[in-house]
Amino acid sequence: MREQPVIIEIQNLTKRFGGLCAVYDFSGCLYKNQIVGIIGPNGAGKTTILNIISGIYPPTSGKVIYKGIDITGLEPHKINHIGIARTFQNIRLFEDLTVLETVMVGYSWRTTYNVLEALLSLPRVRSYEKESEEKSMHWLEMVGLQDQANVNAQSLPYGLQRRVEIARALASEPCVLLLDEPGAGLNQTEVHDLVNLIQKIYEDLSLSILIIDHRMDVIMRLCKWIYVQDFGKNIAQGTPEQIQQDPVVIKAYLGEEISNACN
Amino acid sequence: MDFTVFLQQLINGLSLGAIYALIAVGYAMIYNILKFSNFSHGGVLGISAYAGYIAATKFNLSLIPVILVGMLTGAIVAVLVEIIAFRWIRIKHRQMVYYFVTSVTMLMLLEQILIILFGSSFVSYPYTLVKVRIIHLGSVTISVTYMLALVAAIIAFGALIYVLKKTKIGIAIRAASDDFIATSLMGINVNSVVVAAFIVSGLLGGLSGVLYGISASLSPQIGQVVVKGFIASVLGGLGNLTGVAISAVVLGVIEVFLISSIGSGLSPVVIFLLMVFFLLIRPQGFSGLNAEDKA
Amino acid sequence: MDFYLTVALAIAVNTIAVLGTFILTGMNGMFSLGQGAFMGLGAYISAICVVNYHLPFALAILISIVISAGLAVLVGSATLRIRQDFFALATFGFGQAVIGLLTETVNVTGGAMGFSNIPHLTTPALAFISLAVAIALIWGFRRSHFRRDSLAIRSNELAAKVAGINVFKHKMTVYIISAAFAAYAGALMAFHTRYVEPAMYGWMTSVTWIIIVFFGGRDSLTGTVLGSFILLALPEILRFTSAWRILLYCIVILLIINLRPRGLFGNWELSLKSIFKFPKREKSVEAK
Repeated sequence: MREQPVIIEIQNLTKRFGGLCAVYDFSGCLYKNQIVGIIGPNGAGKTTILNIISGIYPPTSGKVIYKGIDITGLEPHKINHIGIARTFQNIRLFEDLTVLETVMVGYSWRTTYNVLEALLSLPRVRSYEKESEEKSMHWLEMVGLQDQANVNAQSLPYGLQRRVEIARALASEPCVLLLDEPGAGLNQTEVHDLVNLIQKIYEDLSLSILIIDHRMDVIMRLCKWIYVQDFGKNIAQGTPEQIQQDPVVIKAYLGEEISNACN
Repeated sequence: MDFTVFLQQLINGLSLGAIYALIAVGYAMIYNILKFSNFSHGGVLGISAYAGYIAATKFNLSLIPVILVGMLTGAIVAVLVEIIAFRWIRIKHRQMVYYFVTSVTMLMLLEQILIILFGSSFVSYPYTLVKVRIIHLGSVTISVTYMLALVAAIIAFGALIYVLKKTKIGIAIRAASDDFIATSLMGINVNSVVVAAFIVSGLLGGLSGVLYGISASLSPQIGQVVVKGFIASVLGGLGNLTGVAISAVVLGVIEVFLISSIGSGLSPVVIFLLMVFFLLIRPQGFSGLNAEDKA
Repeated sequence: MDFYLTVALAIAVNTIAVLGTFILTGMNGMFSLGQGAFMGLGAYISAICVVNYHLPFALAILISIVISAGLAVLVGSATLRIRQDFFALATFGFGQAVIGLLTETVNVTGGAMGFSNIPHLTTPALAFISLAVAIALIWGFRRSHFRRDSLAIRSNELAAKVAGINVFKHKMTVYIISAAFAAYAGALMAFHTRYVEPAMYGWMTSVTWIIIVFFGGRDSLTGTVLGSFILLALPEILRFTSAWRILLYCIVILLIINLRPRGLFGNWELSLKSIFKFPKREKSVEAK
C-alpha cells in the first residue's frame, strides 16, 4: 500500500434515520496527501458519510478516527478547528456577504481579539481584520476570484459560487478537504475547470481530499482510490481501473457511463 | 383536594384543553405548510370572538348562529391576513424572519383595532346565549359552557379529519404540508391551497374565539391565549395533528390545576420552565414529528 | 423640563434598547419577544436598589445590568440551541414569566400598581452621551468579525458552523449584549419617568423595537438609529394616542416589508470616511 499515515479512518459506520438505513457498516480510510472518492447513485448514503465525518449528526454506530483521535460526534465547528473543512452539494453561501467576507468567515474563530475589544474598537481589531483580509485574498487568488472580491457572493454564476465555497473551506487552513458533489450543477467546461482547480490545490497545499460524487468524470480523473456505495452498503473498492472493470460495479451503475469516463 | 373538586377541575381543564386544541390545530396547519409560527392566529381569534359578541348582543342571534358568525369572521380575517402579511414574502422567497415580523405585527394590529373599537375593558357574552348554565351529575356541578366547548371541539375535529382525508382540497393541504414544491410541480395551484389552509385555520380560530369568549370573558387581549395553543403544538410535535390536539388538552388540564394551586400570576413561570425543559430534552415533540433541515 | 427635551430624551434612551434588538434580531435574525422583559428588569432592579436600599445611582445601574446579563446567560443556555420558531415562543414565555414575577412580588415591586416615587436622576446629558456611547459600541461590533459572523449565521447557520464558527457562543454573546442594552435603557427610563409598572415591558414593547429595526434597515446601523428617531418622534408630532401609535407602526412595517424589505435606508451606512475625507466609498456591488 502506501507509506503515508492514515489521516482519517472510518470504522463500521452505520446511520439510521428512523426506519431508513442510509449507511450500513461502512469502513474506509483516507491516507495523507491522497485523493479518495466515494461514488454511487443518489440515495446511496454518500453525503450521509460526509455529514457524519463533519459532525453534522452522529452515527448510529461506528467511529471516525482522525490522526489517531476518535472524533465521532464532535460538533461541526470543532471538526473544522482540528483541520477538516468541507463544501456542500447544494452550495451554501451567505446572503448579504461579499465574496471576500464569505472567505474571511473562515478566520473568525481564530481572532486574537475578544468581544470587548471589538466593541471598543481597539487598534488590534483593525490589524487582525487587515491580516485576515490579506490571507483571504490569497485564497481568492488561488481559486481565481481575486477580481470578484467585493461582489455579492450569491450574485455570481453557479460555477464561481462553487469556487467561493472552496476558498472558504481553504481559509480554515485544513489538512483534509471534504468535497460533496463538487460538480453538481456545473456544465462540462465548468467541471473540467473545477477538476483542474482541485488538482492544483491538492498539489500546492498537500491536502488530503475526500470527494463524493455520482459523476464518473470527476472521480476517475482525480481519485487514486474509490469506494462504491449502493443503498448504504459498500459494494466495491479499488483503483479507478479496478472499479471500471469490476463486474459488480458495472452491473450496478456504470453501464454506458463507463465509456464516457475513460475519455 | 377532595374528589368532587378534583373532578370539576378536571372537566374545566378538559374543556379549556379542548379550546386550546382547536387553537393548536389551527396554528399547526399553517406551520406545516408554510413552516413558520403564525402569531396572527391570535388576532383572528380575537376579532372572531368580538364578532360573535356583536352578533349576540346587537343582533340577538342565538347560540348556533353566533358560532357560525365567529367562524365565518375567522375565515375571512385569516385570508385577509394571508394576503396582506404573508403572500408577498412567500412569493418572493424572502428569509423566514420576515414571516415572524409580519405575523406578530398582525397580532398586534388586530388587537389594537379591538382596543380602538371596544376599549380595554372586559365585556361578556350575554348570559341568555346558553340556556341552561349548569347541570348536576350526582354531586358534581358541570358548567354547560364548558361542555359546549368540549362537544364543539369534538365535532370540529371530526369535520377536520373528514376534510383532510376525504376531500380534494384536504389532500392537497396535506400534500403541501409534506412537500410544498413537489405539490406545486404536480400542477396544483399552491395559492389556492394556501388560501384553503388559512380558511380552515380561520374557521378553527373563529370557533375557538367564540367558545373561549363564552366560557370566559372578553377583552382585546384575548388573542394572547393562542400562545398556549402554540406551546401545546410544539410539545405535541407539529407534524402530527392528533398529537398536537392531545398535548393541548393535557396542557389545559395542567394549567387549571396549576392556577388553583399557585395562582394565575405564577403559572406563566411554571409553564415557561416546563416548555423550556421539554424543548431541551425532546425538541421533536412527543410524536417526534418536528421537521429538521436536510444537510 | 422643556417638552421637546423630554421627548428627545425618551427617544434617545429607547434607541439604546432598539440597538440591542438591532444586533439580536436585525443582524442575527434571532427573533426574541423577551427583550422588553430585560428593560423591565433593568428598570425595576435599579429602582429598587435606589429607593429601597439607598444605593448610589451608578451602582444601582451596574447591578441591574449585571443581573440582567446573568439572567440572559441562564435563559440563553436553555433557549439558544432551540430552533428559530421555538426560540420565539420560549422568549415570549420568558417575557410573560418576568411580567408575572414582577406582578406577583407585590411587596417588593408594588405589583400591578407599579413602582413609583423614583427620583429623577436621568439628565439629558446622561441620556444623549449614553446613546452616543451605545452607537459607538455597536459601530465597533460591526467593524469586527462579529458582523460577518452574524450575517453568516442568520443566512446559513449550518455553513457557518462548518466554517468554524461556534454558533452557540456567538449567539450567547449577542444575547447578553442586547439584554444589557435593554436593561440599561430600562434603568435610564425609570429614573426619567419616575414610575414603572409591569405592563410597560411586555411582548408588544419587544415587537415595537423589532418593527423599528426592520423599518430603518436591519443591516444598517445608521438606518436603525434614524428609523428609531423617526418612528419614535412621529406619534409625538402627530399627537397620537398609544393605540393609534401602535396601529401606525403596524401599517408602516407591513408596507416596508412588502415594498421595501431592506428597510427605509437599505444597506446605506454613514461612514466616517465620507464625513471627513469625501473619497469614493467602496460599495458592495450586486450583479442583479
